[in-house]
Amino acid sequence: MSMRRIARDAVLTAVALTIFIVELQIPAPVPVPGVKLGLSNIVTLAALFTLGPWDALAVLLCRVVLGAAFAGNMAALLYSLSGGLLALGVAILMRKLLTERQIWVASVFSAMAHNIGQLLAAVAVTSTPALFTWLPPLLISGVITGLFTGLAGQFTVQRLGKIMRNRDGK
Amino acid sequence: MIAVILLLSVAASLFLFLRPAAGHTAEIYVDGVLYRRVDLGKLTAPERIEVRTERGVNVLLAEPGRIRVESADCPDKVCVEAGWLEDSAAPIVCLPHRVVIKLTGGTSLDAEAG
Repeated sequence: MSMRRIARDAVLTAVALTIFIVELQIPAPVPVPGVKLGLSNIVTLAALFTLGPWDALAVLLCRVVLGAAFAGNMAALLYSLSGGLLALGVAILMRKLLTERQIWVASVFSAMAHNIGQLLAAVAVTSTPALFTWLPPLLISGVITGLFTGLAGQFTVQRLGKIMRNRDGK
Repeated sequence: MIAVILLLSVAASLFLFLRPAAGHTAEIYVDGVLYRRVDLGKLTAPERIEVRTERGVNVLLAEPGRIRVESADCPDKVCVEAGWLEDSAAPIVCLPHRVVIKLTGGTSLDAEAG
């Protein structure tokens, strides 16, 4: 990994973490475990579409682990990891099929994958299949929040993509 | 396709959450293991139940016919904000502490029969 790449991913992680911590201050709109805006995924999404899967994965993993530590919620790590990795996987698969104007589509599916991943982890951890009751509301939330973060990520890529991608003539 | 998933989810949510609970017995699970069972139909006075695990404490308040998490030392407090569990099949969950509260049938039927 080049120094430039490390520095760039570190900056993106810092941005994602800041957004994550600020978002913690926003109270959840509905008392459903797992429902949140997920604004820091804007950064993951932008990293994926400008820099590629590996940088996106690095930013995601650093943000999830540090975010759980900073929020004092290590118990949430498992859910965030399973959700985040599944979401990134879906976005990586969809990336090749989409143009820069369709990033929001990947984000919607990615957000739903995130909620499914979290729920699977929760069911496994608590061994309570009754938790699948939350699947439909989580999917609704995924569509809405995924659309929002997806559009935000798309605008980020369109406005900042050139700066994020380059500067070293790669 | 997104619209179809959205519509199906809305329909399923309405179905699941408006579906009445099977009964008035609250079952409290920790880590998937039954911790306590409270027949809310038989309660006459409010009862406080402390669910203490190595992960933290949830204080439940059971009243005749309903139960809720009164306070908890988990980071997100989703379980407290969930409010009263009265007549819904959807469980209250405290994911950080792995505590699940749901309503089931069972003993309240026995009570009526006896």
